[in-house]
Amino acid sequence: MTTMRAGAFEIEVLRRGEGRPILLIHGVNPVSPRAPFVAMLAQHGEVIAPSHPGFGASPRPADFDTMYDLVNLYRDVLDAIAVPAVSVVGFGFGGWIAAELAVAAGQEINRLVLVDPVGIKISGREVRDIVHFFNTEPAELNRRAWHDPGRRPDGVYGLGWQATISDAMTDAEMVTLARNWDSLCVYGWKPHMFNPRLGDWLRRIAVPTLVLWGESDRIVTPQYGRAYAQRISGATFQAIAAAGHHPELEQPETFVEQVVAFIAA
Amino acid sequence: MTSIELWNHCENPYPFVPAEVLDAAPAVRASLPNRYCEPEIAARLYDEVFEEYRLCDELGLHIVTNEHHSGINNLWAASPVITGIVARMTRKVRILSLGTLITVRPDPVRVATEYATIDVLSRGRLDIGFVKSGATEMVSGDANPMRIREREWEAIDLIEKTLTSHDGPFSWEGKFFTHAHVNIWPRPYQQPRPEFWAATSDLPTCAELGRRGMVNTLLFGGYTRTKQAYDTYKRARAEAGLSPPGEDRFSYMAFCYVGDTDEEALRVGQKIPWFLTVSIKSAPQMSKFQPGQIPPEMAPAAWRGGASKRPTDLSVPALIAQGQMFAGNPDTVVRQIKEFRRRVGGVGRIIMMTRQGLVTHAEAEKSFSRVAREVLPQLQDLEPIEQAQVAAGAGA
Repeated sequence: MTTMRAGAFEIEVLRRGEGRPILLIHGVNPVSPRAPFVAMLAQHGEVIAPSHPGFGASPRPADFDTMYDLVNLYRDVLDAIAVPAVSVVGFGFGGWIAAELAVAAGQEINRLVLVDPVGIKISGREVRDIVHFFNTEPAELNRRAWHDPGRRPDGVYGLGWQATISDAMTDAEMVTLARNWDSLCVYGWKPHMFNPRLGDWLRRIAVPTLVLWGESDRIVTPQYGRAYAQRISGATFQAIAAAGHHPELEQPETFVEQVVAFIAA
Repeated sequence: MTSIELWNHCENPYPFVPAEVLDAAPAVRASLPNRYCEPEIAARLYDEVFEEYRLCDELGLHIVTNEHHSGINNLWAASPVITGIVARMTRKVRILSLGTLITVRPDPVRVATEYATIDVLSRGRLDIGFVKSGATEMVSGDANPMRIREREWEAIDLIEKTLTSHDGPFSWEGKFFTHAHVNIWPRPYQQPRPEFWAATSDLPTCAELGRRGMVNTLLFGGYTRTKQAYDTYKRARAEAGLSPPGEDRFSYMAFCYVGDTDEEALRVGQKIPWFLTVSIKSAPQMSKFQPGQIPPEMAPAAWRGGASKRPTDLSVPALIAQGQMFAGNPDTVVRQIKEFRRRVGGVGRIIMMTRQGLVTHAEAEKSFSRVAREVLPQLQDLEPIEQAQVAAGAGA
């Protein structure tokens, strides 16, 4: 882990590999250097994975607290990368950021990959599209987030991480998870994990887009994913078998294969 | 000389849901289906507790209302509504709303309007209390549990400005609240405004209460935490060059039952800890894993195996020993309260939680009558706690 300057902010960033930049925008926790997909992807370009303010070792200024702040921060990140053609991959909550970023600053992106993103409202007012991250029993969250929770790479945490806490974890790991969880809540409590207006503005995304979805995701279902993809002109929807909300963690080979094929095309 | 005020606090619990339902439920607040709340029973409970308030008015025991939501522990749910009723049915005693949940409610101006109305209709008998809240209340109120301390202070500031501004509309554009045109009618009866209280043992908050001169109340803090909180309050005032606080700036809420004999008080008092043993059962996502509940640095202590904050021994003698309950015959309770006052460095307002858990209406009224007749008179005109003792304690 190192740091990068993005506009007014100094944030933590994971960099691996070299070549064309592949910007990863993380979900509930920063991209872990221990996740096998990172090294695989780094064989095809430079993986750049910042930690959002309030996550990992990135500080969160007191008034930095909305999706609006995150989108503009990532515009600063794109400026800092300073390459006209950046591939952007957003995961879950980070998929929402990536979609907002592509709506606002699509001209700086050459490929967009959304991996089980949240961020839009599909169904009627009495149907919840996105399982509540903060108000669902941890064991239930863990069941819904994974095809097989046993496939979670050691020391890498996705949704439902609370159900996997053990005394073997270090204090530092726990403090970081708690801080990440707090920060996610600052940004996403209400409306819970969506922008009521984003669904209509996805039509502004003109960059080639791949929507990847874990077939067993029961946090946000593949049906939601298909509806998401339909709102982006020309987007491709691709399901990944035997994976839940984090296909990059449960099926890293398939995930990397799909992403590389798409961004190289 | 110091005289201790006694206040009655009842949360109007609903201890009538079958045990097997409560045992099976992941939480008895926020998510327990309201089909288990029988309106006819609720109506009877409202009648009984309002009768108790009428008795307190006759006896000179002040009254506290509060609110919690969607659970067996509390049927008040809307403190200003209940406080307005109490204001109309009483004539003498003071009434404290402790309080409506200002970190949940979207518009502090509306809160100020409700309180100003109650202050006028009670002809100036209202005190206004603030609580930071958290846990299940953030779920039932769909309020972001993060940054509630900052949100609480901004709400308090806006409520105070609303209550004390009398020259036409003003505008508020804060971090958490905006209101372009604030000008409430009626204005409060008390000038410049009703007394403000806050319930907290959070030390930075206690310090700010000290600088503002607000009443600091603690709930079941026991000897050590309570003294630490009061000392923080005193130190903050001293460091700001403000006058030392009187004992009326300090309040403490404890379980309380006064019997004719110690034996009777212990027997009935044992019905009260239902509050701790049954009514605060909560799901992990609404407690230890809720964002903002604890600072991240405290997470390992809260999450590791066997971590628990609750006192393990909830017998009446254990609660008395920890300073969390006053129970016995009238003289015993007087001794306990005086001892508590001495050990925490002075306290002027004791809030008694008596009609709690499985305590009946008749049992509650008996205790109130004994309190008024035999406890309250013994807590008047007490020798002051020496300032030197306070100063020595401040460094502890």
